[in-house]
Amino acid sequence: MSSLLEVKGLSRYYGHLKAVDDINFSLAAGTILGFIGPNGAGKSTTMRIIATLDIPTSGEVLLDGKSLVERPDQARPMLGYMPDRYGTYDDMTVFEFLDFFARAYRLRGQERKNRVDSVMDFTGLLPLKDKLTSELSKGMKQRVALGRTLLHDPRLLILDEPADGLDPRARIELRELLRALAAQGKAVLISSHILTELSEICDTCAIIEQGHLLATGTVQEVLARTSNAAAFSEVELTLFAGPGVSLDEVGKRAERLLLEQALVSNVAVMNHTVRFRFELGPGQTPGPSWVEEASVRVLRALVAAEIPVATFRAREHDLEDAFMSVTKGRVA
Amino acid sequence: MSAESVRPPDAFDRFGEELADRINPIVVKEVRQGLRTRVFWIFFSLMLVACLFISLFAFAASTGLADRTGQATFIAYFVCLGFVQFFVIPYVAYRSMAREAEDETWVLLTLTGIGPRRILAGKLGSSVLQGVLYSSAATPFLLFSYFLNGIDLPTIIVGVLVAMAYQVFLVSVSVSLATLAESRLVRSLLHFVLLGVLLQGLGFGITGAVLIGEFSQRLTSGSEFWLTSLVVLFGMVTTGLLLFEAAAARLSLPTEDYARGPRLVYGLQYLGALLFFVWGWKVSGSVDVLTAGSVVLSAWAALVGLFVASDRDGMARLHWVSGRRWSLLKPGGLRGYLLVVVLLLVATGSLAGLAMNEGSLAMGKMLVLLAAPGFALVMLSLPIVVTRWIPHPPWQTPAMIRIVFLGLLVLMTGVPPLIGEIVSEADDLFLNALNPIVGLVNIGRQGQAGLSFVLLAWGVGAGLAAAALISLRARDTQWLA
Repeated sequence: MSSLLEVKGLSRYYGHLKAVDDINFSLAAGTILGFIGPNGAGKSTTMRIIATLDIPTSGEVLLDGKSLVERPDQARPMLGYMPDRYGTYDDMTVFEFLDFFARAYRLRGQERKNRVDSVMDFTGLLPLKDKLTSELSKGMKQRVALGRTLLHDPRLLILDEPADGLDPRARIELRELLRALAAQGKAVLISSHILTELSEICDTCAIIEQGHLLATGTVQEVLARTSNAAAFSEVELTLFAGPGVSLDEVGKRAERLLLEQALVSNVAVMNHTVRFRFELGPGQTPGPSWVEEASVRVLRALVAAEIPVATFRAREHDLEDAFMSVTKGRVA
Repeated sequence: MSAESVRPPDAFDRFGEELADRINPIVVKEVRQGLRTRVFWIFFSLMLVACLFISLFAFAASTGLADRTGQATFIAYFVCLGFVQFFVIPYVAYRSMAREAEDETWVLLTLTGIGPRRILAGKLGSSVLQGVLYSSAATPFLLFSYFLNGIDLPTIIVGVLVAMAYQVFLVSVSVSLATLAESRLVRSLLHFVLLGVLLQGLGFGITGAVLIGEFSQRLTSGSEFWLTSLVVLFGMVTTGLLLFEAAAARLSLPTEDYARGPRLVYGLQYLGALLFFVWGWKVSGSVDVLTAGSVVLSAWAALVGLFVASDRDGMARLHWVSGRRWSLLKPGGLRGYLLVVVLLLVATGSLAGLAMNEGSLAMGKMLVLLAAPGFALVMLSLPIVVTRWIPHPPWQTPAMIRIVFLGLLVLMTGVPPLIGEIVSEADDLFLNALNPIVGLVNIGRQGQAGLSFVLLAWGVGAGLAAAALISLRARDTQWLA
């Protein structure tokens, strides 16, 4: 799939401070890219440059093959930017707000009316069209802001922390809207701190820290890369105590046995559940499937000791783990 | 559904729709928002009630045709209208613009392609519309003052039109101030500054109305009146435009050329003012006007030119590619500085040439004419040299250059007379040699003997200008590398 957005060697310095340093990634139409990083990592700076609100110190950003650094005026009609603030006018109704921005986008007459109606329909705002934006919930305000970015039918959406401050229902609804937009062929660049949200919604992700891109690729690629590279993995097993067998006794035996095993640490027994960690020691480098090998070894030992194990589950590596394993919590 | 509610749009509806489509969307938005606010309806009602009471009072006080109650009534109405036009509307415009900056909605507006100039024009346009609404409500009352005698119809019309122009000027000032409100502290400070400016503006406006009412018939006869009126109008329009362009520049994104508009208006204003001084010299026949022109234009070059000369660096690279290589309208401090110096030299050359050609200018005044640009060069260059000399980045910012300018101005005008008071005299020639106020007065007093001080001012000015040019050039080269 050809890329709609290409970021090449992008850097932005403020004096001696390197806010963004030599970033490269691309985004194809119909896909969602999650931009992940701690506060001050350079996410918003990168997004502002892509949104033509700032210029890079060096590097290039191509939108549909054309430089948006050289010709920001030509790029703007193709992109929709939603900052982390809603940017709504409290004393305007939902319709007036969208109608105003549609006018600003030079949509005229019937075309404007149709576009505003279709955006309100898509975002589920039609029943609220005559309500003042100040009377809306955060989730609904977020929809109004999203509606504003869609008015001119952009091909690339840049959403800076769109799920911030939303309740779970509003988040799920926003996720559905973004999925629908990607299905329409729009490319979506989204940043968020809520990594579980991103892992469910994004096709690709880019992890940034201190202005440097640490990992990029499809979510699966990044997870595979970082899970193999991770120095620990959490495991949970449940014990089954048959008639006449004390659960406490089984738990104690399991704990003793696990503590004797190599690479096992942080063993905690609670009723019939035992949690522990496979953790590499200092200087040990993770092999390609070290977690699986350790699991097999521990399971064999448990079976050999006739400890009644009902379930054994290594927790799946997710985006949060990937983020934690590649970042060090530094800011630029 | 009734038959009326489904009727197809007629020609009038279509015209309305088309008109609304063509109008600046900011005007539509501001009018929608404005008519919804309590402020508009409260002041609108208050103004009408006040005008009604004034009318009743004037009608009761009027004694007949020979009475001149009309003039006083006109001024009373004007105070009511002026309060709204010169205080309420500019203040509302400030709040509206400050909110766009605080909520960063202007960024979203800019991304639509609407541009900072159209945003500001929309704010101004909606203020004009509000002013028209208030004025149209007050017009019947103003006409009533005509029937009370003591004021003629042209004076009333001129008063209303000048008030409208003055309102646009004050709105430009307010909107321009609003674009400076970046942090909470600055916003609070600006709020007080704005209130002061608007109260003063209100005072000027009402005083102007009194003068128009009092002297209009006597003044309109001479060409001095028209020259003065045109000078005031020119000053108001070009300063309003300059503020407008400066505000637009502040609102521009780094991806846009923010320098061209303000520089163009600055240049036009400067050259226009030069022409007015030449016209003033022709009309009055007094060569002193040329000396006054040199002093005013030099002060303007130092005060306003400093804003152009201390332009932001580092944002200009995009615009270096386009445009002519040596265009002084391109962004960056170097070009800005050169533009101010070139205009200063053009004005000095023209005024000095005319004065020499006339031959009747006293030596002292001639030397003041020549010295003033030298002092302007010193005051313009010194802050740039000082700030560039300090290697820490916060000193390199345009704001710091302007603060240093103010500091140096206070030091150079205030300290030498103080030292002089202790050691010899407050206006000591040598201590005040580079004092832009006392030094200039001394040169004027000395006559031929002041020539060496003129040469000193120009020598120091030229040296500092060279140093400023070198450091600005180095900065540009550093950025472009």
